[in-house]
Formats: sequence, structure tokens, C-alpha cells
Amino acid sequence: MPGQPHIEVENLQVFYGKVPAVRGVSFTVLPGEQLTLLGPSGCGKTTTLRAVAGLEKPTSGEIRIGGAVIYSAARNVNVPAEKRGLSMVFQSYAIWPHMSVFENVAYGLRVRRIGSTEITEKVHRALDMVQMRDFAGRRTSQLSGGQQQRVALARAFVFEPSVLLFDEPLSNLDAKLRTDMRIELRELQHRLGITSLYVTHDLEEALAMSDRIVVMRDGSVEQVGTPDEIYSLPRSAFVADFIGSANLIRGHSRPDLAAGDTIALETADGQVIYGMAYGRSVGEELTFSVRTVHLQISLQRPAIEKNVWPVRVEKTVFQGDFSQVHVVWGAQRLIARCAAMEPIAPGRDVYMMVEPRRVVLLGA
Amino acid sequence: MTAIAANAGPVSAQKLAGYGVAAIAAVLVLYPVFYLFQAAFDVGDPQTRPPTAYGFDNFGNLLQYPQILLNTLTVSFAATVMALVIGFLMAWILTRTNVPGRKLFEQLMTVPYYLTPLLGALAWSMLGSPESGFVNQVWRAAGASGHIIDINTPYGIAWVMALFEGSVAFVMIAAVMKSMDPSLEEASQIMGASRLRTMLRVTLPLVIPGVLGAAIFVFAEMLGSFAVALVLGSPNRYYVITTAIYQLIQQYPPRIQVSAAMGVSLFAVMFVMLFIYRRVVMGGSYVTITGKAFRPRVADLKGLRWVLFCICVLYLLASVLLPVLTLLFASVQKIAVAFPTADNFTLNNFRAAMSMNAVSSALGNSLLLGFATASIGIALMGLLAWLIYRSRLPGTGLIEYVVMFPQAVPRLVFAFGMMWAWLVFPIPIYGTTWLLLIAYLTVFLPLGVRTIAGVMLQIDKSLEECAQMCGASWTFRTRTITVPLLLPGLIATWLLLFIASVRELGASILLMGPHSKVITPAIVESWFGTASELTATLALIQTLVVAAAMLVLVLVTRRLTAETVG
Amino acid sequence: MAIVPMLGISAPSVLAQGMSKSPTKVLDFMTNADVAKAEQEGQLVFYCHENEAGTAGIMEGFRKDFPKINTSYVRAQTGALYSKILAERSAGRFDVDVIQLSDLAPAFDFQKKGGYEHYVSPETPAYKDENLSSPHGYFFWTGVDPAGIAYNTDKIAAGNAPKNWKDLLNPTWKGKISCKISASGLQFVQWYALRKLYGDGFWKEFAKLQPHAFDSRVQLFDRLAKGDDMLTAIGEYPAYILFKSKGAKVAFVAPPDGLVATPLVVGAVSKAPHPEASKLFVDWAMSKRGQAWYQTNPNLYYGSVRTDAPPMPTGVKLSDFKLLYPSDWNEYAAQSPTFLKEWNGMLGL
Repeated sequence: MPGQPHIEVENLQVFYGKVPAVRGVSFTVLPGEQLTLLGPSGCGKTTTLRAVAGLEKPTSGEIRIGGAVIYSAARNVNVPAEKRGLSMVFQSYAIWPHMSVFENVAYGLRVRRIGSTEITEKVHRALDMVQMRDFAGRRTSQLSGGQQQRVALARAFVFEPSVLLFDEPLSNLDAKLRTDMRIELRELQHRLGITSLYVTHDLEEALAMSDRIVVMRDGSVEQVGTPDEIYSLPRSAFVADFIGSANLIRGHSRPDLAAGDTIALETADGQVIYGMAYGRSVGEELTFSVRTVHLQISLQRPAIEKNVWPVRVEKTVFQGDFSQVHVVWGAQRLIARCAAMEPIAPGRDVYMMVEPRRVVLLGA
Repeated sequence: MTAIAANAGPVSAQKLAGYGVAAIAAVLVLYPVFYLFQAAFDVGDPQTRPPTAYGFDNFGNLLQYPQILLNTLTVSFAATVMALVIGFLMAWILTRTNVPGRKLFEQLMTVPYYLTPLLGALAWSMLGSPESGFVNQVWRAAGASGHIIDINTPYGIAWVMALFEGSVAFVMIAAVMKSMDPSLEEASQIMGASRLRTMLRVTLPLVIPGVLGAAIFVFAEMLGSFAVALVLGSPNRYYVITTAIYQLIQQYPPRIQVSAAMGVSLFAVMFVMLFIYRRVVMGGSYVTITGKAFRPRVADLKGLRWVLFCICVLYLLASVLLPVLTLLFASVQKIAVAFPTADNFTLNNFRAAMSMNAVSSALGNSLLLGFATASIGIALMGLLAWLIYRSRLPGTGLIEYVVMFPQAVPRLVFAFGMMWAWLVFPIPIYGTTWLLLIAYLTVFLPLGVRTIAGVMLQIDKSLEECAQMCGASWTFRTRTITVPLLLPGLIATWLLLFIASVRELGASILLMGPHSKVITPAIVESWFGTASELTATLALIQTLVVAAAMLVLVLVTRRLTAETVG
Repeated sequence: MAIVPMLGISAPSVLAQGMSKSPTKVLDFMTNADVAKAEQEGQLVFYCHENEAGTAGIMEGFRKDFPKINTSYVRAQTGALYSKILAERSAGRFDVDVIQLSDLAPAFDFQKKGGYEHYVSPETPAYKDENLSSPHGYFFWTGVDPAGIAYNTDKIAAGNAPKNWKDLLNPTWKGKISCKISASGLQFVQWYALRKLYGDGFWKEFAKLQPHAFDSRVQLFDRLAKGDDMLTAIGEYPAYILFKSKGAKVAFVAPPDGLVATPLVVGAVSKAPHPEASKLFVDWAMSKRGQAWYQTNPNLYYGSVRTDAPPMPTGVKLSDFKLLYPSDWNEYAAQSPTFLKEWNGMLGL
């Protein structure tokens, strides 16, 4: 897996007329890795994917696959989509209604003029892998959404492409099916060892499936990292909030209270909280990010020195596996996610604590 | 949409096909228009060609004909209003209520389009002439005096035009109604509004933009209408621009220049209207990119639905059955009257019609031309539709305008330009069926392109993009994906073009030659020069032959589509 | 009788072919055309002012006698027909073999323009000078179409019926009287003749009646028969005969001041695609045989001007009618623009 990157995107810019959809995005994907482009709708992730596919014409930048330049504004290169040797799974599945399941999957092989015995063999094998073998002769109009998705998948990898592009392939499925398919896709990708560029707006999906994630906003890259890095060490308020509910705490630095890796921040209303910088520069004004799941609520005062405060419960929202407890902390409201517990009555005084290492300094 | 590489090496098949077909369309459309404009601005001696002097005098001369301009506007306006009422009513009844036989009626609503307005005009002329009209004869037999309807008035003309154009308005408005979100009406009713109030306060305002679009479109068509005004208006000295042009160029010396000026003026008005239609109503394109189609909520009207049923039947009666039966009734009489005596019946008219060499050759030519126009048409227009709405080649906006040009020019006026244009063309196609073929392909460009584009745009882009990602070249994926998916739409367009070319009048009447007679103008010639009973017979024969041809074609294509699509 | 055509002596533009050829007999008439060659040509293209049935009828007659020659035709009212052929010729298209017009004015014009082929038929002696072109050989009068007044007997009682032209100006007829459009040759003749007889005011009075104008006599009589019009100002005798035979309730009035009539002129067209066939047709039309066909075909019923012509099917001879022809055809032709302006203006064009 280490070595030359398989997909390289350099300073990609895509303008629709005067409107910028992608403003200077760069990233690489290593061979066999799944890189996910994650972000809210309109952030440019799909446009970036389609630019790599060749279905959108960028305004400037460069794209290389396996070292070969497939798009370069400077060098005036733009290889047509059908010649790039990539493969793609579409959000709407794009199953062709006038062909059988078999013919749908066989299409890419037919284009490459593979002999018919070989086609039959490959198609059956692909269908086996997605557990759709029995449906080979069926008309596609009779398939459910999940079944269509599997066929689309089989069609995408049957001709052994080196790169697979995914455009929100699971977003049209219902929640339960989505979770199952996620796992299947991941396993398939590992088995085949195909480099994947994946686009989704679903946080859980990205965290579950990716080797690395690129968080995008408004056409630019916010942060690149492994799921754990993104989750635990968000670089900005946006990433922090997008990746999982986070509390943002602002204040000025208290260098006098800093010790070792730990730094301190004092809020406008005098609350002091300890956190860690994780290599980011410490300025005058700081913002800390604390995941709701890391704030702990207890009825008794914990026997800890730092980061313990008495707080008042404003309300508790029951969410089944957990509850969200809204507390008043000084002049600010914070949300703590607590595992299933007895509901705490509003107005109750409780104690809140958080480990300093869970309090993350955000970048400027 | 498929992006095209700016420098994909040698010229791709895509670009070749795309620009090639655009060049053909440009020549077909602009070549005659040039000659039309040249004639309109020619103020020199009309006999010398090319023109010696240019100026605006001809347009100034138009002011001598204020009555004709007024007539045109009156009739078009009245006809548009009536057509919209019919279209709206029928659209509402058939998409929003539980009238029995809805599906069947929707199919039948397109039948008036297949009958030529000429047929309607002839039939209604026989029904509604103040003296000899059957309805008036019945009226007088019932004891009253005078006449109850006079079809030779502007409102009579508008009525007949509206009857047939109503089905076009219906299709457009019904499409709008089908794309309306029913929950909007439901919200109104949940809050307690009555059904009528809901229709007036919620449905109507939502539908108005679409109705307005249909209005502009229909009005533009009415301005260029010819057949009805010819049959019903001319006898009463009531001229509109198209019939006036026709008369003026029939004289010796022909009043070419003022006719061209009239034609150009009409063209200017229609062009502006269609421009508004495109920009304002359609949001920048001539084709509706339909989004989700909702299943509209159907109101249960219980007893009232039978009244609506009768209304639907009444419309079909007035526009289809009554005209056909009238013609049949007239065709079997020596001198057509409402209450014929036994000795007034004869089959001579049929014998005469069959033996008329002009008729059999005209019918044959029409069917052949219909076949050719439709077949070449779908290839040409299919490529154009793809070029304009699916490819990302530069300049397609301009090409869309060129393709839609003929919509803004009345057929007669267009043919006028074509007459000159192809007369001087080095290859001798003037006076032959080839000229008619070219004329039909030209004037049907908007119709064909619009219809195919409508179907094409409903095909999800990703189906083609996926083929691309599987490695298929443009020709491969057009052949294996696009065309098979388009097939039902292509077939429907084929039938539409076939019918349109067989019923074509305005262009054919000017461009026919001794060896290239076609049936609809032949019926008009018959109206000019033979007894009305014989004309009725011819019209009837034409209808029957076309209906038979259509039936055969529909059956054949049904089997074809059943085999390919799963 | 082998007669050498006279054209070689007097006519200016003379074609060399056929000049020294003697006329041959085919069927029962004489022709200077090469019949075998005509049949080889196999086609005849005929431009005619007659209505559809009439034109088809003429062609039928010719085809009956010469089945090897296929016929095709274009029909349009004289004005339209003439502009069509001129437009075509100006663009270098010469597709017409023979043309028949219902007005002498365009015939003169066409002759001046060199549109007619100069061909003197051996049948020429059967015609008076006044019924031939001057000089001979350009066109001839294939028939005469006389017109009087016709009315619907149900609508108008015999007592109230018009008896002379002036009776047309009765205000009772307002909106119920018909005439022909300005492209009609016969209408032009009527305008000219009655204007000469009754002065400029006649047609101005007539305009007040708001007449309905039509293309063909069949239309006029169709409406008359059905009662859509009460009477027609230009009732052609041939049409009257035809409709009477169908049982229509129409009556014909021959005004004592005279019937208007227009000659129907036929001529071979120069640069014809089938020159021999066109010459053959001219000879056929001029012959007794052709004239008999013209005179007896129900869609035509022309009055023949051949000096040896039999009476028309109704027993009437042309000479029985008092016919109002323009005395000076050239002066008549020059009036054309005035006529068009006035007539079109009357009709709202």
C-alpha cells in the first residue's frame, strides 16, 4: 500500500460560468485505499468526483491517475471519460431498463470486446460476489433498490478497473439497508483491492468505510485525515461540528495555567477549562472543541481537580440509546451525551467533568 | 450531460455528426428566410431579379390594409381564448376528476389533431352556412326563419380553429396540471375551502404560468393559420394575412413585395411571442424539463362526473364525429341538403373521385412523402435534439433558435421564401416531390425536435454517463443505450411527423408541381374548382386512408416495441 | 391536301425544323408534328386555367387518342398560372409544353416575351383570323366561354328576376350576389365590356352590393344551387348546362345587351421539354376531333369558334348569342392594372 499515490488531484478548480463550485482542491489517494469526500450539499464533493471521472470539465488544475496526466489545464490535456479506464457507481444506480441484469453487468466487457465465454464467466463471478447470481436473466424493472445497487456494483468492477468512483451510492436506500450495504461494500473493496474515491454527506458512512476522509466546505478542503483524526482532532469549528456534535468554547488563553501538554482557557464569564493543543499554535484567543459524548454528568462531585464544574440542568432529551442533557455552564449552554440513564429533572444541580485530553484546541 | 474534450485529437464522430446536422438545419431554414426578407425589402421593379433597390416602402404599404391586420388579430385572439377554455376544461376534467373513461378520453383527445383543420372547415361550412348549412336547414324545418349559426363570420372561423387547436392546448395544460404538487390543493381543502374555492384560489394561480405559455404558443399558431380562414373567410370577403398573401400572389402581376412584407411582419410578431414564450415561461428553453411527475389528486364528483362525461363526449363529437359524418352525408348526395329525397343519393362522387387521376397520384405521393419525411425526420431531428439539449458543444443556443425559426413563420410565408430559394438552386428540384420533402423537413423541425427532446430529457443523464464510464464511445453508447431508450419516443415522433406531413397545406399548396401533387392541397383545389359534394368525398377518402395507414403503423410499432423493451 | 406552311415567309422568328415537312394525317386530322417522336417523348405537361375536373377532362381527351403519351398538368386561375410560368422561366426552368389561358391580355404579353413557340398548325385554315394570334402560329382560340346572369329559382321568383345587366344593381341583391376573383380572365372581360357599355359608375354601384368572389364557375354555381347566393353576376353558360343536368334549381338569363365572353387560348410553349408532343396537342386541340371533345365534355362545354363547328350539346350555336368582345384587344390589355386595382379594392384586398 505505501508508495506512489494512485490518484492525484492538484489545485482543481471548477467554475460554472462565474460561480465557483470547486476552488483549488488538492488530495491524493493511495493504491487500494478508500478516500471519502465528505461534506454538506453544495460543498463541491460531487463536482470533484465527476471531474476525476471526466464528466465535468474543470477550469484549471491537474489530475493524474497512476502517474499519467488525464487532465491538465496547463498542458491542455483532457482525456475523455470513456478513455480514462475508471469505473463509477451512480447515486441513482443508472441500471439500464431495456437490458437484463446479465446484460447490464456485461456491458463494460462488451465494450472491451471480450469473448462471450469469458464474459459469461466474469459476469457470473461478479454477480456471485454481490449475491445476485440468481437474478442474472431477470428484467431489471423487477428489482428493488438494494438489488439494483448490487447490480450497479457488479457492473462497475466486472471489468477490473483500477479505480472505482462512488457518487453517494447508498443515499437512496433506507437506513437499515444502508448500514448493511456499508459493510458489504467495504469488504468487497478490500477483497478486490481497488482504489476507491467515495463521496457522501453521511457522517457515519464516511467514518465506517474510509481509510481517509477529506472534509469539504464551499468548494475547499477543510481537513484531510483518518476517521479517527478527523473525529478526535478536528481542525476547525466547522469540522468539529460536522463530524459529530461538538460543544465550542471560546475564551482567552491562560498561559500561566499551562503545564506540559496541557493549556488553559478562560471564558468571558470567568470559567476556566483545561485542554490540549495537539501541535496547533496557541494564540491569544482560543477555541476549544469538546464532543458531547465526552462531557460526563454525575450527581456527586467527582474527586478530580481540573475540569469539574457544578452546572444546572436545563432539559433532558431522550434519544433511546442515549440522552442529551442540556446544561447551563456559566453564560453558555453545553450539551452532554449520556448513556441511558434516569432522566434528570430540569433545574437540578449536577456536576460536569471532562478529561483535558478530550478538550481539543481548534486551529486558527 | 457529457463533457466534450476540447482537444480530443482528430475530429470526433460526435462533433462531426453534431455540427453536420446543425449545418443542414441552418441551410434548410435560413436559405428561404433570406429570400423572403430580400423580397420584403425589394422596392425596385418586381420583375427584375436580383432586386435593384432596397427600402422600407413595402412595409409602409401595409398600412393600406388595416382591415386585414385587424381581422388577423381578432380571429387569432378569439380562437386562442376559445382553445384555451376548451383545453383547460378538458385538462381539468381528465386529470383532476374521476370522470369515467379517463384513460380512453386522454388518448382520444389527440384525434382532432390528426384530422386536418381543412376537413373541419369544410364540414362546418356544410353545417353552418347561413343558407345551405344543415344545421340551419334543420332550424328552418323546425319552423323558425333565417339561420341560427353563420359559420362564415370571424367567430365562426375562430370556433372551428379552436375546436382543433383545443387538443393542442389540452396536451400542454394537462402536462402542467400533472406536474402540480397535489399537496398544495390538499392543504387548501384541509383548511376548509370548498372545491370551487380551491380551484380558483390555489389550482388556477399555480397553473397560470403554464396556461400562459400555452396561450402564447397557441396564439402564435393561430396567427399563421390558413386552411380555415380560406374556406370559411374568403367567401365572405373576410381576409386574414395568410389568405390575403395567398390571393395577392395568385394574381398577375403577383404582388410579391407587399406579400413578403406582410409575411415578414407576421413573422416578426410571432417571433417576439415565441421569444417571450421561451424566455419568460419556459425558463430559457423550448422544452419542458419535467421534474417529478406527481400523481394528482383526483376529485370524486359522484353524480356530477356523468355531466363531465357528456362534456368530453360533446367535444369529441363536435371536433371529430360530427365533421366526419357531415362529410359522409354530403358525399353520398348529388346536391347536399339536410333532408335529401331518395333520388338525391348517389355513389357517383366516389366513382368520380376514384377515377380522378390527380386523386390517386396525390394520395400516393402524400403517403410516400409522409413515410420519407417521418423516417428522415427522426434521424435528423433526433440528432438535432441531442445536439441542442444534451451535448455541451458551443453554439447550441444559436442552433436552437435556428431550429425553432420555422415555428415563427406561417407555413405559407415560409413556402413563399422556399419557392424563390429553390427555384434558383442549381439542382432542379423545383416542382418535384424532393422539394416538398425538403419543405416538410424544414417546417417540421420545431415539432420534431421539441417532441424528441421532451422524451430525451426524461432519460436520466446518468444512464448515458454510466455507459461512458464503462468505456463506451459516443457511437457505441448512442447505439446501445440512447437509441433503444428513445425508441418509444422516436416511434411516437415518427407517427406525428407522418400525420403532420400528410395533412400539410400551407407550404404544399405553393410548392406542388405537375408531378408532385399531394392530397391536402388537392382537396383545396377541389374546393375551388368542383362541387362541394365531390370535395367532401375527397376529404373523406383522405381521412379514411390516413386513418387506415395510422392503424397499420400503430399495430406494427406496437409489436416492435413489445419485442425490444422488457 | 399538302400545304406548305406559310410561316416561312411572314413570321420573324422562325424555327428551321418542320418547315419543309409536309403535314401528316393522324387519326382524322392533320399535323406537322412528328407523331412517332411525340410518342417517344411520352409526356405532355399542360398548364391550364380550368378547374380540376375541366383540366383533367381535356387531358383525358388527348390521352384517349394518344395513349402512349402520359399527361400531367398544373391548374390555377389565369392570373396565378401566368405568374407561375413567368417566375419559372425567369429562373431558367422550362418545364411546360402547352399553356391554356382564359384571358387574351397575358397571351399577348407571353407572345411578346417569346414565351410561345411559333408553330403554325395545318388546322389553321379552319379558323377566322380574329380567332388566331397575329401573326398566326402563337396561339389560337380553343373555345369561348360565354356568361350571362344566373339565379336560383327558389330564391328569386321569375317576375323579380334580372333581365339585363343593369338589373344587377338592385339593392335587394346586397350580400347575396357572387362574381369572380380578379385573377379570372372572364371577369376582366366583363369588367371591361360593361364599363364600356354603361360607364364607370356601373361597377362602383356593383361594389355597394358587397359581392362574394370565387375562383371557378363551379363554386359559383355550387353556391347558387344550394341557395348560399341568390344570383351570380357572371353565370357561365357551360356551368349552367352542367348544373341543370344535375337537377339544380337554376335559371340562365342572356341579357339582350349581350353576353360577355372570353376566348380560351391555347398555345405551345417555347423551349418545351417535349416539343413534338406539344405541337401534336395544338393540332389535336384545333382539329374537329379535339374541338368536339372540348365542346361536349360536361366539365368544359366550350363554344367552339371553328368555322365548321357543330352546335353545342344544348343545340345552341355560339353565333346564336350576342357576344360582347373588346373591339381593341390591345387597349383592353392595357387596362389590366386599372381593373386589378378596382376589383381588388372592391373585394377588400
